[in-house]
Amino acid sequence: MRAVFSFILVILVAAAIATYSSFFIVQQTEQALVLRFGEPLRAPITTPGLNWKIPVVETVEFFDKRVLDLDSSPQELITSDQKRLVVDAFARWRISQALLFYQTVRDERIARQRLSNLLEGSLRRVLGSASFEDIVRDKREKLMGDIARQVNEEAKELGIAIIDVRIKRADLPEANSQAIYKRMQTDRQREAQEFRAQGEEAARKIRAEADRDVTVLKAKATRDGEKIRAEGDATRNRIFAEAFGRDPDFFAFYRSMQAYEQGLKSGDTRMLLTPESEFFRYFNDPSGKRAAPAQKGK
Amino acid sequence: MPWSNQSGGGGWKSGGGGPWGQGPSGGQQQPDLEEILKRSQDKLKQVMPGSGLPGPLLALVAVAAIAVVSFFAFTVQVRPDEQAIVLRFGKFDRVKGPGLHFKWPYPVENVLLPKVTRQNSIEIGFRSIGARGFSQTPRDVLEESLMLTGDENIVDVDFVVFWRIKDAAQYLFNIQNPEITVKEVAESSMREVVGQSDIQPILTQARAKTEQAVQKLMQQILDQYKAGIDITQVQLQKVDPPSQVIEAFRDVQAARADQERLRNEALTYASKVVPEARGEAQRILQAAQGYKEQAIAEADGQAARFLKVYEEYKKAPDVTRKRLFLETMERVFGGMDKIILDGKGGGPGVVPYLPLDQLTKPKSDQGAK
Repeated sequence: MRAVFSFILVILVAAAIATYSSFFIVQQTEQALVLRFGEPLRAPITTPGLNWKIPVVETVEFFDKRVLDLDSSPQELITSDQKRLVVDAFARWRISQALLFYQTVRDERIARQRLSNLLEGSLRRVLGSASFEDIVRDKREKLMGDIARQVNEEAKELGIAIIDVRIKRADLPEANSQAIYKRMQTDRQREAQEFRAQGEEAARKIRAEADRDVTVLKAKATRDGEKIRAEGDATRNRIFAEAFGRDPDFFAFYRSMQAYEQGLKSGDTRMLLTPESEFFRYFNDPSGKRAAPAQKGK
Repeated sequence: MPWSNQSGGGGWKSGGGGPWGQGPSGGQQQPDLEEILKRSQDKLKQVMPGSGLPGPLLALVAVAAIAVVSFFAFTVQVRPDEQAIVLRFGKFDRVKGPGLHFKWPYPVENVLLPKVTRQNSIEIGFRSIGARGFSQTPRDVLEESLMLTGDENIVDVDFVVFWRIKDAAQYLFNIQNPEITVKEVAESSMREVVGQSDIQPILTQARAKTEQAVQKLMQQILDQYKAGIDITQVQLQKVDPPSQVIEAFRDVQAARADQERLRNEALTYASKVVPEARGEAQRILQAAQGYKEQAIAEADGQAARFLKVYEEYKKAPDVTRKRLFLETMERVFGGMDKIILDGKGGGPGVVPYLPLDQLTKPKSDQGAK
């Protein structure tokens, strides 16, 4: 009775272990390879879910099914136009054929090493035959596509599919960067100089125009002013001519009188005269018979 | 995985009083229940070695325990910022929103709870918080931020990428390291966009355009990976020339200002000088006008005066002529120094001996009054 009970217990436990070990779960992110004594008889399992295997006889290897990343180390290369460039690229890949992958590289760590080598080689080949401008500016997209295609072709043998290769950084080595900084600096200095010179140019032009305007304005005003003065003089002459023309002889006398009065100012004039002038007609002789010419001096 | 914590109460069955010593898992239970279980556990210890056990009590405890365990094993709680991704035997089965949901217990079903509403951000080119967590000034990461522009200049670009989970299933199942992927794609995209532009627009007006271009490119690449990630925003922070040349760039700004200043100074000069000249021109014209009017008026006056005198003169020419002469001479001689030499006496022979200089000087002062 006791033996039977034990036997049943053993059977049950054995059955439980057998059941447990004959099922396995393939996660959504995984794919699996079933090996019977190391021999891959079945196709790789790529759909997730519950699967069975023969316990002990069959073993399961799991592989990632997701997009995996690969970051290559930065490497210095020379472009077709002899410029040095430090390029840091990364790839996105996945395991496309689990069996091939298992046979050639076995696990992700080795796969990454192999891929890194492939990627580096391809980078050198493709970028080495491209010019600096193409890499940095014009054809980056296309070059990345070329590299991805090349690496993909080579990685097929490893059961790996390359989804994308992208250049993360494409920079100049430190020494070249310094040269660029120098050039940037001189470029900016030139630009600054140019701005200042342009400012000076504009300023001088504005000043010159202003000065010219000033000169022209004054000249025109002087011209018009002279015209006006001339008009005044002309009118004055006409008025005088009209008035004085009535009796030129009397005018000469009258004007002389005015001129004497104006010209011989008191105080600064000293007169040395003889009493023979008309003024002194009666000075010596009350009858005033004769007049003598006056003698003037200063 | 969350569910395994929640159904942790199941352990008490196998391991005597084990779970209660572990604190946290027991602490989640309701106090009443805990009390009951504790008491029953004590009783269990008491009666275990002995024979008789109160049957109904044991059954009650067993039923309660099974109920609690089942509740946690068969349900999943989803918080407002989460989504439940239910896997049946590892295979993606269904998505559930926030709330309480039914699930089969392990190993049939498994639940993942990604935070789908959370706005994630990645800083590139700088780290706003240092490794120790207390440095406030952003630390520059030059190897990330220095990049070449299309015209072979170097520019220092710091930016932040905001992203969130667009499709939780894709996010969880299609890519291995979402964060690293976003960061690398961001760096690559930014360099590609910057590499296609000259330095000047990047520094000045093309910021928004750059942000949009990078966002679009990133989204395109991530969609190609089927990453299930939505790039919500790319935000440029500091975009500067490298520190080695920033002074030169500042000097260009200063030069622009100088240019403006020189121009303005000249304009100021012009706007001062030209109106002044206009005023001066007016002054010249007005002076001329004044001269003209003065000349005419004086001429009129003199002419009128002459004519008046002439009228009188005409009536008695000789007398008037003499009178005018004498009156004038009277005025002329009246105010000046005179030396009268009688021609018959000394005659002109005296003149050369007169000390003219000495006569002039002292008296000129007196004459001034």
